[in-house]
Amino acid sequence: MSVEVRNVHKHFGSFKALDDVSLKVESGELVALLGPSGSGKTTLLRIIAGLEYPDPGTAQVLFHGEDVTDWPASDRKAGFAFQHYALFRHLNVFENVAFGLRVRPRKSRPSREEIRRRVMELLELVQLEQFERRLPAQLSGGQRQRVALARALAVEPTVLLLDEPFGALDAKVRKELRRWLRRLHEQISITTLFVTHDQDEALEVASRVVVVNNGRIEQVGTPNEVYDRPANRFVYDFLGSVNLFRGRFRQGGIDLGGLTVPAPDHHGAEDAPAVAYVRPHEIRILSQPAGDGCLPAVIRHVNSAGPLVHLELERPDGGSRFAVHLAREADRMLRLEPGAQVFVELQNPRIFSEDYSI
Amino acid sequence: MGPASRVNTWKIGHRRRPVSEAPWIRRLLIGAALAFLGFFLVVPLASVFAHALAKGFGPYFASFRDPFTLSAIKLTLLAAGIAVPLNCVFGVAAAWAIAKFDFPGKQMLGALIDLPFSVSPVISGLIYVLLFGAQGMLGPWLASHGLRVIFAVPGIVLATIFVTVPFVARELIPLMQAQGRSEEEAAIVLGASGWKTFWRVTLPNIRWGLLYGVILCNARAMGEFGAVSVVSGHIRGLTNTLPLHIEILYNEYNMVGAFAVASLLTLLALVTLALKSWIEWRNAPVSGAET
Repeated sequence: MSVEVRNVHKHFGSFKALDDVSLKVESGELVALLGPSGSGKTTLLRIIAGLEYPDPGTAQVLFHGEDVTDWPASDRKAGFAFQHYALFRHLNVFENVAFGLRVRPRKSRPSREEIRRRVMELLELVQLEQFERRLPAQLSGGQRQRVALARALAVEPTVLLLDEPFGALDAKVRKELRRWLRRLHEQISITTLFVTHDQDEALEVASRVVVVNNGRIEQVGTPNEVYDRPANRFVYDFLGSVNLFRGRFRQGGIDLGGLTVPAPDHHGAEDAPAVAYVRPHEIRILSQPAGDGCLPAVIRHVNSAGPLVHLELERPDGGSRFAVHLAREADRMLRLEPGAQVFVELQNPRIFSEDYSI
Repeated sequence: MGPASRVNTWKIGHRRRPVSEAPWIRRLLIGAALAFLGFFLVVPLASVFAHALAKGFGPYFASFRDPFTLSAIKLTLLAAGIAVPLNCVFGVAAAWAIAKFDFPGKQMLGALIDLPFSVSPVISGLIYVLLFGAQGMLGPWLASHGLRVIFAVPGIVLATIFVTVPFVARELIPLMQAQGRSEEEAAIVLGASGWKTFWRVTLPNIRWGLLYGVILCNARAMGEFGAVSVVSGHIRGLTNTLPLHIEILYNEYNMVGAFAVASLLTLLALVTLALKSWIEWRNAPVSGAET
């Protein structure tokens, strides 16, 4: 079932949490709302669930085309998993999952046996069958999160909303649960929106990523789209590490001091300041200059632990430093040592005009 | 690393010993605390029972067969029986509103709940006399309808309710604030109505705090002297509660009677204390004891 919000504004006092947000999530999609803390992503999720109401006005929330803006949360049938799980602390795992079925009005409430069957089925799905009698306090963080998911799924929700689903877990469990969530989504293919501030998580799990900042949507796209073609400086910066090369517009390119990068899409005024964004793995290191498409640099630091070799280089002119990630083989062939003089080629620079406000 | 640094390390290690006071200081402090508690708590408590049983068990139990004592017990039970459930409902409602919702006047409500704590009980009683007494604002209207509040049972119940307002609410507000709203939100998203959310999520989470508040509220309701004294009029067999009855017996030099009745209230205090400790012990381990 599709979920859509239109023209949503939300203020908390004088703080603008959401500023004219519109978004459509198609049926069966797994979408990440990605943004720094305080960007409004959780507020958007809560508005979809009905836990907050948007500012009165033109705002609309639609489930499968039906306007549910004024519906109370209890009527929306949205499954919601809270950041800190919000499990009922006085109920055991079984009763937590059964809660949504037990509170139904008598005429639509399933029978005891039916509830038992459904709950056990869900506990099996989240691999917690043997924990049905445990209290939430007796479970680990990852187990609690899975109980919270099972509880949300028990009411057969039309949409699944997850608020920082893995935020409170340690790194290893988080990675396991990420994969588990994607597999789960493949199994039950329910429309799912999850909030995260972790770009790796968003890029790995989601089929589409919505980048949110300051209450506005900056970009919507597949993980590849937002990573390879970021719409603006914020998205570029937020989705991974980045090197900045500052220069000035000159004759249809930008002059980085010894190297002119073509910038055909930009028509900045001559001499206006500009900046080139380059990801650390999009820089090639050469031992000899190849034409005039490269910059001289000196290697300052080499860290070869891990799958990639992390280098820190310094430009001879201004002394500004930048990072390069290199495959191990390339590093072995070049035999890079601190202090070595090399040349770098920027492979996929993105040019943005520099505004003075920053 | 010369010898000087080694001396330093040793000094730091020495200073970090868990207990640094000399044994005699520790004994002195503990002894002083025990002596204080013994003199101000244990000795008076023991003397209540000693005086009550001064002439043996016969006169002790005989004093409970006195009709005025029996009526005082009944009235105390009645006042507590009305005040405690009312304040229980009000306390839960007020704590729920304050802890889980934002509304204008929230600070004000919190301050109002504390009012009976900050006002002298005598003043609380006087307020009711000024309101409902013969010369009071509503006095003539009540008199013309044949209703008596002051120097009658309704006044005693009202005064008891007033002085015991804060107990349940004050116990629950910090507890509910600490628990937050997320479990209630989870229940509502799962389709529960507000009423079901309250009965199935909110109330189970606060049950021990609520019981604790009710016990303290009850102890105060039964033991209240000042406010009740002002509105009661001390009519034997009609408007005397246990604490007022004790005072009358004492003033009549009926030592055994006074202390026998006093021993009832003392026992109530001891039971309250035991229950309170039991609840605290019951809730000490956060994980798992509940089923």
